[in-house]
Amino acid sequence: MSETPPVKFSVKNFRVFQGKAEALRGVSLDIPANKILGIIGPAGSGKTTFLRALNRLNDLLPNAHVEGQVLLDGKDIYHPEFDVVALRKRVGMLFALPVALPMSIYENVVYGPKLSGIRKRSQLNEIVERSLTSAFLWDEVKDRLRMSGLRLSGGQQQRLCLARVLAMEELEVILLDEPCSGLDPISTAKIEDALTVLKEKYTIVLVTNNTKQAARVADETAFFLLGDMIECGPTKKIFTAPEDKRTNEYVTGRFG
Amino acid sequence: MKASGESIAKGILTVVAVSALASLLLIAVFIFKEGFPFMLKVGVGDFLFSSTWNPQAGQFGIFPMIVASLYVTFGAMVIGAPLGIAGAIFMNEFLPKSVMRIIKPTIELLAGIPSVVFGFLGVMVLAPFIRAHLGGPGLSVLAASIILGVMVLPTVISISTDAIAAVPNSYREGALALGATRWQSVYMVTLKAAQSGIIASVILAMGRALGETMAVIMVAGNTVKIPHAVTDPVRTLTANIALEMSNATGMAREALFATGVVLFVVIMILNACAMSVIKGRGGSK
Amino acid sequence: MRIAPKSAQVIAVAVLGAATLLTLVVLVFVIAFVLVKGLPGVTWEFLSTAPKDMGKAGGIFPTLAGTVFLPLLAIAIALPLGVGTAVYLAEYTRENRFTKVLRFGTDCLAGIPSIIFGLFGFIFFVVMLKMGWCLLSGGLTLAIMVLPTIIRTSEEAIRAVPNAYREVSFSLGATRWETVLKVVLPNALPGIVTGVILSLGRSIGETAAVIFTAGSSLRMPTTVFDSVRTMSVHFYILAREGISNENAYATAAVLIISVLLINVTAYGMMHRFIAKRSS
Repeated sequence: MSETPPVKFSVKNFRVFQGKAEALRGVSLDIPANKILGIIGPAGSGKTTFLRALNRLNDLLPNAHVEGQVLLDGKDIYHPEFDVVALRKRVGMLFALPVALPMSIYENVVYGPKLSGIRKRSQLNEIVERSLTSAFLWDEVKDRLRMSGLRLSGGQQQRLCLARVLAMEELEVILLDEPCSGLDPISTAKIEDALTVLKEKYTIVLVTNNTKQAARVADETAFFLLGDMIECGPTKKIFTAPEDKRTNEYVTGRFG
Repeated sequence: MKASGESIAKGILTVVAVSALASLLLIAVFIFKEGFPFMLKVGVGDFLFSSTWNPQAGQFGIFPMIVASLYVTFGAMVIGAPLGIAGAIFMNEFLPKSVMRIIKPTIELLAGIPSVVFGFLGVMVLAPFIRAHLGGPGLSVLAASIILGVMVLPTVISISTDAIAAVPNSYREGALALGATRWQSVYMVTLKAAQSGIIASVILAMGRALGETMAVIMVAGNTVKIPHAVTDPVRTLTANIALEMSNATGMAREALFATGVVLFVVIMILNACAMSVIKGRGGSK
Repeated sequence: MRIAPKSAQVIAVAVLGAATLLTLVVLVFVIAFVLVKGLPGVTWEFLSTAPKDMGKAGGIFPTLAGTVFLPLLAIAIALPLGVGTAVYLAEYTRENRFTKVLRFGTDCLAGIPSIIFGLFGFIFFVVMLKMGWCLLSGGLTLAIMVLPTIIRTSEEAIRAVPNAYREVSFSLGATRWETVLKVVLPNALPGIVTGVILSLGRSIGETAAVIFTAGSSLRMPTTVFDSVRTMSVHFYILAREGISNENAYATAAVLIISVLLINVTAYGMMHRFIAKRSS
């Protein structure tokens, strides 16, 4: 009997409402630790809403409220006493548009650690080098750390955002929301390579509108459609022998 | 731990915002509290329409001042509005962009010149000229109107320019494509589209002319009499407040606050009109 | 009589151009006239000595001090109040009754004539609170005058900061206050500073509100409870009492140059701010 792999996030009957509209309808899903979960589906299917629920970024939207549970290592992150700020240090996020903060590359990377109270120069320097290296960006920027992050190319900025997230000591999960949508194939490949290495240390959830990317990179894949999660399973199965007809139509390109 | 720092910050900011609001309301409340009872005591009709202003004798009619303010403001708009609107049209529609980029800030600098400087020039240059060529003491409705007209020019030009520049180019191109000359496209299309902004600029300029004090004191003559000619000297509501403030006690002081109430209300109405003119047009098309 | 469209255009352009030219001529005339008549009197001695004989002779040094201290005091009071309120409005609240009232109050007071501020300041600070004519009375009155402007420009600058920056900051585990302090305010700073500089320019030229609250003492101020005379008040008194036309012109020249410098700086900053944003 095979042992069940450890579960990082356990989502139970989770619903998200935007005012009266239901953006996410009763999703239940287990996200395994140290694996890449790919989330695919057409636009408007709730993929991003689901992703943002995992680090409670939805809290920022004016009329959002939720039902159900999201358990991180067994604890419900929507419990009123759960420390949201600490949550976001453990669960980091990359957005679709690479958003470098309007500061130097150095300041971008140390933004999170400084918030946690790390002040010593030597420690910060070490964090910067380690994070940029893990993001496959160190060699390209090591001589110009004081330059503004806004002056990097799109692909470089996205890797900077990755380094920023990796700089957090408490990081356990990386969420990515269509991170390669604006990037050229080479930058995309660099990010995908980074993810494949990073999953050994972190749990990764990757929302993508590019089914081929999910096929390349994800260990498990979930298919979302119109606010429901239709099917979730090992990537190979989803792409070759899905159980639901709609999944099949999406991955074979009949719609989407 | 972080949460408490956060709620402290929010608490402090709330206190700050409330204090800001309190200080803003303080003025309004104060002026009304000091001025309104007076108006009831003396009778609003008497206050506004009696022509005798003699605080020592207990007579507080501000009618001559109301007339003076009206004439002077009207005169200022007669001069400032056409000039300003014409300037705005010319700069936006008939000047190359590069020239306009120099001229527009230059005109906005006009707005920064202190009012007392305008008043002074009015006394030294304008008033003698009027006295020599048109008679009267020189310090007059005419002098005040001209000076105020010049002073409100930047307001009219600046807001009208914004309104005209906001008209989408597609409107202009549409007219030109139908064979209109540039001028025709301006008065048939652009001006109509920008008209709410232009009207708003005139209304706001009226409010500023109405509220101007120092320049008017210097050139208007300050006699409490209903003018019969543009060369007659007058005293506006604002000048009245300034001139009487230091000596006023008791009822006289309340009279000044009541004058303040009148000004406050009129200017607020003007500003509200300007806002609604802008908003009203914004929805259509 | 129908005029051909082409000729109508020529006439129209001529008329409009003449109007614009007239405006420019008046502007240039005002500045040039004052500078021509006033600059000869602006010597180092003029700027650095005190007035003698009620201003008939001597310089304007104390008024320079007054013109510097009074607006600075007003900004020192209005800036934290204004920026704090702007942060509160933009970052910490949704539109509700309180914010609507606040906005209404701010817009209302933006158009109120300065003489009414002077009247208020005089009765409230000088008389009722028994503070007398002094820097503090003037500073508080001016602060209330410029508060709406500072709130408005600061709020605009804060709202102009892209939301993406805030999201990124939150996703890295920052609280709202940390986000405001480390990302939003530094980014909004040029816009806020422009509003401050414009308020400064306005305060320097302000006479009606100042003369009735800060007084017109010609002595150098040593505390905030001393009366001061600003340049514009000094100029007004010189002109109106006919004390010295020469010195009046000279004072006006200094006034105009100061205001022009400040406005040029503000516009320069604003353009750099806009240029930086769009790059």
